[in-house]
Amino acid sequence: MDIFTLSFWGISIVLTGASLVKSKEKTFEAMKKSKKMMGNMIGEIIGIIFMIGLVLTFIPPESIKSVLGSENTVMATIVAAIAGSVTLIPAFVAFPLIGSFIDVGASIIPAVAFLTTLTMVGVVTFPLEKKEFGLKFALLRNIFSFIAALLIATVMGVLL
Amino acid sequence: MRALQIVRKNKLPVFVGIIYILLYILVPDKADSAMRNSIYYLIEMFEVLPVIFLLTVALEVLVPKEWIMKRFGEKSGFLGNILSFILGSISAGPIYAAFPISKMLLSKGASVPNIVIILSSWAVIKVPMLANEAKFLGVSFMGIRWILTVMAIMLMAWVTGKILSRKELLSGISTTTEPNLYVNQDYCIGCGICTKMLPDVYELINNKAVVKLGIAQSENKMMIIKTVEECPTKAIVRATEAT
Repeated sequence: MDIFTLSFWGISIVLTGASLVKSKEKTFEAMKKSKKMMGNMIGEIIGIIFMIGLVLTFIPPESIKSVLGSENTVMATIVAAIAGSVTLIPAFVAFPLIGSFIDVGASIIPAVAFLTTLTMVGVVTFPLEKKEFGLKFALLRNIFSFIAALLIATVMGVLL
Repeated sequence: MRALQIVRKNKLPVFVGIIYILLYILVPDKADSAMRNSIYYLIEMFEVLPVIFLLTVALEVLVPKEWIMKRFGEKSGFLGNILSFILGSISAGPIYAAFPISKMLLSKGASVPNIVIILSSWAVIKVPMLANEAKFLGVSFMGIRWILTVMAIMLMAWVTGKILSRKELLSGISTTTEPNLYVNQDYCIGCGICTKMLPDVYELINNKAVVKLGIAQSENKMMIIKTVEECPTKAIVRATEAT
């Protein structure tokens, strides 16, 4: 567990203690409410996690290299953005991987598109987002994030 | 019948489970490696979800609705956006961990743009992640990507807020549209009809019927309507929550 997650634990335990002091009944009532809300999500979350395992097995992170290395930058950028949307690889794997690739001289535009959609667009988490916030919200947020990733990548390509 | 209901409620995990079973039969080594790949995320889930649970509880009890409305609501303005950015950035965990917190803030009065900002910055702008990016891709790469991402999120939040109103968003969410169910304690005579009809929903406390907490009303909807009608003093009230 990294230091951020640990401090997150610390803060939440202190806050829960404070709410117990403030009102025991209200806290237990809120716990029941939260339990219900999270209970509705937990099945989906576990499904998502094992889905990620499948995606990582059949589309290993290294396969992104062949996408990024394409001659056609426009196509490579779009494919990289799509690849980033469907995969969910940990940031500490993604950054060194992309870094090593840029060092060998690959274009940064597809790389940035991939990095941005990787975290912002979630095809795998989409069903859960749709369930929790409705179809329209989930669609808007993911589509806008995808477009934003392409824009950010293009601007970075011009600047760097 | 009951098994069918469980399957219908958990389509994704059931679907993924079937794929794993098929893989274990056809290509066991692929299934094994998929299992191993999932474990990192499973650990991450157990590290983060209990914290999210505690935080939603503490938020519910400690932070009054008015405060959320003032800080994150429709009229919170630019300061509200900045606060949303900070909240999303200092958090830990994957994006699905942001869903319960955002949903709670939304039900307490946060605006649509601010919810977009919290979710997006929760996903992209993480302090440990930024440090990692600077290490492998350089400080200027990280800095420029960060500035552009913040600008893009602001734009996305603004446009989403224009297209989707808070009211429309809330009407698409199940829990807030669930009718409020309660027993008027002044009228209840403690006859026990409702507790006999639906012991899962009602209980007698000090000779007065009360609604148990955390009831999934949708499952018992028809019976609940019956109890409302059967109650001799019409003490059971079923009102749609005004949002």
